Amino acid sequence: MASAGALLKVERCTKLFGGLVANRDVSVEITSGEIVGLIGPNGAGKTTLFNCISGHYHPDQGRIVFDGHDVSRTRPDRICHRGVARTWQIVRAFGRMTVLDNVICGALTRTNSLGRARTKALAMLEFTGLRGKDGELAAGLTLADKKRLEITRALATEPRLLLLDEAMSGLTPTETAAAVDLVRRVHADMHLAICVVEHVMEVVMPLSHRVVVLDHGEKIADGAPEVVVRDPQVIAAYLGEHGGARA
Amino acid sequence: MTELAQAVANGLQMGLLYALVAVGLAIIWGLMEMVNFAHGEFMMLGMFGAWWLSATLGWDPLVAMVPVGLAIYVLGVATYSQLMRRVQRGDAFAQIFATVGLLLFLQNGAVALFTSDYRFVSDTVLARLSGTQLSILGVKLGVPLLLAGLLALVLFIALYLLVDRTEFGLALQATSEDRDAAMLVGIRPQRMFAVAWGLGAALVGIAGVILANFFSVYPQVGLSFTVLAYAIVALGGFGSILGTLCAALLVGVVQSVTVVYLPPAFKDAFVFGSYLLIGLFRPQGLFGRF
Amino acid sequence: MRRAALVAGLVVAIAYPVAVQMTGYTYFQTVGFLVLIYATLGIGWNFIGGWAGQFDFGPHIFLATGAYTAALAAVHWSWSPWLGMAAGIVVSMVICALITFPVTRLRGHYFAIATVAMWMIAQPIGATWELINGSRGLFIPLTPATSSWEAIWTLGWGGRSKAFAYYYVALGLFAAAMVLAYRVDRSKLGYYFRAIRDDQEGAEAIGIDSRVYKTLARCLTAAVFAAGGVIYGFWALAVFPDQVLEMNWAVLPMISTVLGGIGRLWGPLLGAFILIPISQVMSATLGTGPLAGRGLDVIVYGIIIMAVAAFRPNGLLSLPWARWFGRG
Repeated sequence: MASAGALLKVERCTKLFGGLVANRDVSVEITSGEIVGLIGPNGAGKTTLFNCISGHYHPDQGRIVFDGHDVSRTRPDRICHRGVARTWQIVRAFGRMTVLDNVICGALTRTNSLGRARTKALAMLEFTGLRGKDGELAAGLTLADKKRLEITRALATEPRLLLLDEAMSGLTPTETAAAVDLVRRVHADMHLAICVVEHVMEVVMPLSHRVVVLDHGEKIADGAPEVVVRDPQVIAAYLGEHGGARA
Repeated sequence: MTELAQAVANGLQMGLLYALVAVGLAIIWGLMEMVNFAHGEFMMLGMFGAWWLSATLGWDPLVAMVPVGLAIYVLGVATYSQLMRRVQRGDAFAQIFATVGLLLFLQNGAVALFTSDYRFVSDTVLARLSGTQLSILGVKLGVPLLLAGLLALVLFIALYLLVDRTEFGLALQATSEDRDAAMLVGIRPQRMFAVAWGLGAALVGIAGVILANFFSVYPQVGLSFTVLAYAIVALGGFGSILGTLCAALLVGVVQSVTVVYLPPAFKDAFVFGSYLLIGLFRPQGLFGRF
Repeated sequence: MRRAALVAGLVVAIAYPVAVQMTGYTYFQTVGFLVLIYATLGIGWNFIGGWAGQFDFGPHIFLATGAYTAALAAVHWSWSPWLGMAAGIVVSMVICALITFPVTRLRGHYFAIATVAMWMIAQPIGATWELINGSRGLFIPLTPATSSWEAIWTLGWGGRSKAFAYYYVALGLFAAAMVLAYRVDRSKLGYYFRAIRDDQEGAEAIGIDSRVYKTLARCLTAAVFAAGGVIYGFWALAVFPDQVLEMNWAVLPMISTVLGGIGRLWGPLLGAFILIPISQVMSATLGTGPLAGRGLDVIVYGIIIMAVAAFRPNGLLSLPWARWFGRG
């Protein structure tokens, strides 16, 4: 794994909505195999950044470069083909389809054969632990299982970069621990780069190799977790929310 | 050149009438985010109401506006409370489908009651003025259409003030923005929706009464006006009332100018084609933001 | 159990015209013919409406393009309707792709309105285009066939055998459409259509270009409508704008499908089976009385639609026993 360039380069991304600056001049790099945590107070622009990377928004200024290709104005489906997969803050599954069919849809990104897609889907479900529920309708799953399904479906597209948008929010402590374990296994077995947006510090800090902090649309810190956590700017940004940073 | 200027002038006047046709949809869709394929049918009922009152009681459409408007208001409220309220929790598909059912019911109900024959409202107040014309800058404006257009404009402005300046209007906007928050301040969303539907239907019904002065009345007239209204609302950008007015004027002019150069059968086709082009190039409408 | 029902149904479907042939009334066979045609069109509508989830109110413009292509080919080059059907399907799919792809970015009811707009643009074109004889329409020249095989090739039956034979043609068309639907349902296309229906943005995030697949779905719809249009046109021996662009061609298949169970394989047949006889019974009972031809049957349809939408948004096939009829 001796790639010279970074897998993902966000260069001075700026995104505006009317008068609101959701992202201002944000530059981030992610290399293959890294787990990067993306944190910041509510409204800091984390999901906006994800949306810019995955192609659902196009940056007003700046560039998004993935694997050497400028994908700033690329459609989301093409970006997925290039190797970026994501999950959503408000979980989205294909509610009227079964768990298995959901994942098959993901697997069909890489093959036209339904048979091969099915095999791949079953393997993914086995890996993430949802194999036993493959016949259930997605709409009837618990929140934790829906999120797990989303991840499984994203993995079936064989991404090189996985964007997880608050994959742990709304989960009980047990479910959260299971989800963290899943992310670790995904990283270990599939050698993906993963970017995790999270609010829960106890989750993000141990998981990430590196942490990027956004506040009011700007990047205010970028480094190892133990360093970032002591950064005075970061502490100040969170002061109103948590009353102090956590080690 | 004067032919073109004349066409533009006519188009602007028609545009005012179209604005009234479309504004009801702008409210129902734009504020309430609900679909209504049967929008033009309310207009058709307004036209038939005007015709019937004229044929049986000799009432002029200008007078008929009031009772017909009220009756269609009630119909609009009933449509919401009996039908749309139940499909509201469904997806857009179910809403479209429900209003398609309403469309078929109303359109063919009219056929059953009145047959498909074309009817005309004759000897109206406005018709009696049809000889007179105003001449401005070399362009002739027929008084009947001008007065009708001005009437439509007055109603339009009244509606705008109602929605934008009154407490009721603010309640309406609040409900569309955040239903739960609206409930917290004592607004009852169901009641708001019902009134919005009543208002939307009544406005387009009244527009029908006014249009009955100039157009023939028949059961199938509704659908093309529904598409026209949607085209206007889409052009005007997601239910902005002011946008609707501008878009309606534009549509009126486009339609009027088209007839100068193309066979009359294509009058509407050009407007619909523009709708498709807008969809292609600027789906947020001419005045919408994204 | 399901297999047995299928076989039984097939036997009934095949034997039906033979049985009623004894009565001497071609009426029953014609009703069967119409049920099958509408059911076929319903299957067609299921592609864009049921699986892709996009409300299409104007698919019958492709009924027209199909019928006119085959009619023109018959009038000018004496083509067999089967060749005409192949041409009609190709022409319809090409036109569909060209006019639908640009509007796929429209969501929900704006897309639906766009389909209505297309239909409304088609009307004056149909009425004024000289190539297709404008509003006067095209009459299909049909010389009575001299042998059974020739009749099958030219669809040239006359007299009492016409209704009988056309029933089987429609049955064959219906079967072909069902096979197509079955294959698509279990293909990548089917999965992608349903993904777009359930969550378009989510679908795009896993690599589905919704513009392409919505267009493909509609093209499949166009193909089926074109085929149905050809059969109907040759049965009617004439194609003219008011007839093929009539709203009922859009409404009845749509209602059949939704009533019978939207997105379900057998939904359209079930729906058509219920609706068409209603219409026929009403014409029969109203006869030539004062309410005849007053669209009373459509009023009933309208009420049915509103009831279904209000109380059973997924149609009859969302009832428990509907699992028999295939997945949705």
